[in-house]
Amino acid sequence: MLKINELKASVEEASILKGLSLTINPGEVHAIMGPNGSGKSTLASVLAGREEYEIEGGSVDFDGADLLEMDATERARAGLFLAFQYPVEIPGVSNINFMRAAVNGKREHEGREPIKGKAFLDMVKEKAQLVELDGRLRNRSVNEGFSGGEKKRNEIFQMAMLEPKFAILDETDSGLDIDALRIVSEGVNAMRSPERSFLVITHYQRLLDYIVPDFVHVLVDGRIVRSGGKDLAFELEEKGYDWIKEDIVA
Amino acid sequence: MDTAKPQLMDRPKAEAKHAASEASGAALVSALDAVLGVQADVALDAVPVPHRRVERWKYTPVATWWKDVLAPEVNTVADAGCEANPVPGLDAYRLVFVNGTFDAAASDLPVHTGVTCMPLSQRGDAKRQDVDAFSPEGSDWFAGLNGRYSQEGLYLRVAQGVELDHPILIHHHTCGAGAFNVLRHDIAVALNASVKIVQWSTAATGADGSVNVLTRADVGQGARLHIDKVQDEEGTVRHIAYEDIRQGRASHAEVHTITVRGAWVRNDLAFRINGQGAHAELNGAFLPGEGEFVDNHTTVDHRVAHCTSSENYKGILYGKSTGVFNGKVFVRPDAQQTNAYQQNANILASDKASMNAKPELEIYADDVKCSHGCTVGQFDSDALFYARSRGVGLEAAKAMLVHAFIGDVLKGLAVSEVRLEVEHRLAEKHGWDVWSHHPNDDA
Repeated sequence: MLKINELKASVEEASILKGLSLTINPGEVHAIMGPNGSGKSTLASVLAGREEYEIEGGSVDFDGADLLEMDATERARAGLFLAFQYPVEIPGVSNINFMRAAVNGKREHEGREPIKGKAFLDMVKEKAQLVELDGRLRNRSVNEGFSGGEKKRNEIFQMAMLEPKFAILDETDSGLDIDALRIVSEGVNAMRSPERSFLVITHYQRLLDYIVPDFVHVLVDGRIVRSGGKDLAFELEEKGYDWIKEDIVA
Repeated sequence: MDTAKPQLMDRPKAEAKHAASEASGAALVSALDAVLGVQADVALDAVPVPHRRVERWKYTPVATWWKDVLAPEVNTVADAGCEANPVPGLDAYRLVFVNGTFDAAASDLPVHTGVTCMPLSQRGDAKRQDVDAFSPEGSDWFAGLNGRYSQEGLYLRVAQGVELDHPILIHHHTCGAGAFNVLRHDIAVALNASVKIVQWSTAATGADGSVNVLTRADVGQGARLHIDKVQDEEGTVRHIAYEDIRQGRASHAEVHTITVRGAWVRNDLAFRINGQGAHAELNGAFLPGEGEFVDNHTTVDHRVAHCTSSENYKGILYGKSTGVFNGKVFVRPDAQQTNAYQQNANILASDKASMNAKPELEIYADDVKCSHGCTVGQFDSDALFYARSRGVGLEAAKAMLVHAFIGDVLKGLAVSEVRLEVEHRLAEKHGWDVWSHHPNDDA
């Protein structure tokens, strides 16, 4: 599904990713944990195609294609999805029209006709239920005036609408209370399938109680320094990141 | 009219004349005198011929104006190939002018109790509005040209309490070379009467020359006037338009100016609010493309207490285009409890585009609420990336942001068919297919 090999990236001449390698197979859920500034969100942005980041080396293979050669739109249409840590507000663009443009973009890529109004609305209704997204939020401007929890639920709703092959959840748990965390996680879990993979970026082990990963990686200073099963997350929670850092030095 | 001591804004400014411009102006006047004939003796000498050293024309390239218009020709209706109705589906009375000449066959005048509506040339003895100290004809050279040569336009009187059932569409089409088309619309809406007007200007692909339109509207006590003004001119026509709006007590006047297309456009709006409890609204959107120039100058003159005004202009500038916004708001000493709002926001969609924006507020009353904001920026890169990360193409994402950006201005248009047609024409001009299958309000 996704094969990252020795990826190096910088922003404004500061090198952030310093040779990161990671392979994710279909159906797998990988979690990336790490201290602030270790490059977690940079990895998400680089994979999604944010142009402010400069790729300085390495490669990323996405389902047989060179991901780094595609622009952000092409990556999304090829089946990559990023749930933003800070979903962007777009005043004046209704959530529903935004999604229709997105769904039709994907359909165009697949050589299909734009979706019909009724079919689209049915789909919206079905997917909104998944994350208990309030009907009123569909007609409001994208993320404008949404609470933190509503924004994150909207991200998962969008993911459900686009049915990506590979989804990155960038600190989807930040700013969520327990109930919202449960709803969002259930939404994600409902979408788990043998064909779909996830990369879950988080600070805290808590999210991984709900979205149980197959693998956990620890990112420190732009590299994966340790990988393991879900137990690694518990160990981190208990001992903190300093333990790993000391471990590396030693 | 106004007995208060003159304020700064009334003080005559010593505006310098510029020899070359004066010579061009004089040459044009003598050519026009011969071709069009003098209709009214307007003293053009009192004001300088516009040039770049005069503040009101500082950012407006007048020097290039002369080359197209020094040899004016009189074109007639017969030359026209103008579309029958520029706004499909609009149920409206229509006055069609082609190259400044009334096209009776294409027009459909209202027959309505209390409404006098006809081309200006047919008004007989009926009086035109007086030109006074506040009329642009006396203070602006191009408006003076309008006063001197205008013989055609809309003549409209709406009697007390009358509400016209359909909008009046004034369609002006320019074609051919060397056009010098002058129109004057003379409007008075009496006590508690109400009317909606759509001013639509088009021009043929090869048209050049100039179009000069002056609209004078007296809006009586409790009366309502809505003007939707759309400029969609091909060719290289230079378009100058004046709106001179006088408002009585508790009246409501709105002018919405949408510039879809135009090689060189100057809009000059002035609202004089003379009666308490009145509301003025002026909104605009301009989206010049490669090589186009659009200038919006506005003046709102709060002369009495307890009035409100709201102004919202949005510009998106593409290619090597230039925009100008100048918004004057005067609040005179007697105009206590004024609430005036002005907003001008601009997006430079290209690094070759430029925007000159200048809000000017002169406030002489102390118990007022006046706010203004002015921004020049670029597309929100976070929003663009967010949309692209959902599979929306870059151009479609920009079109979406454009729609959102000017959405509030378009929603303000008085006639919904006008809004739909404007959206359609903008989409066509800029190649946005994304608008056609999901206008923002169908969900």
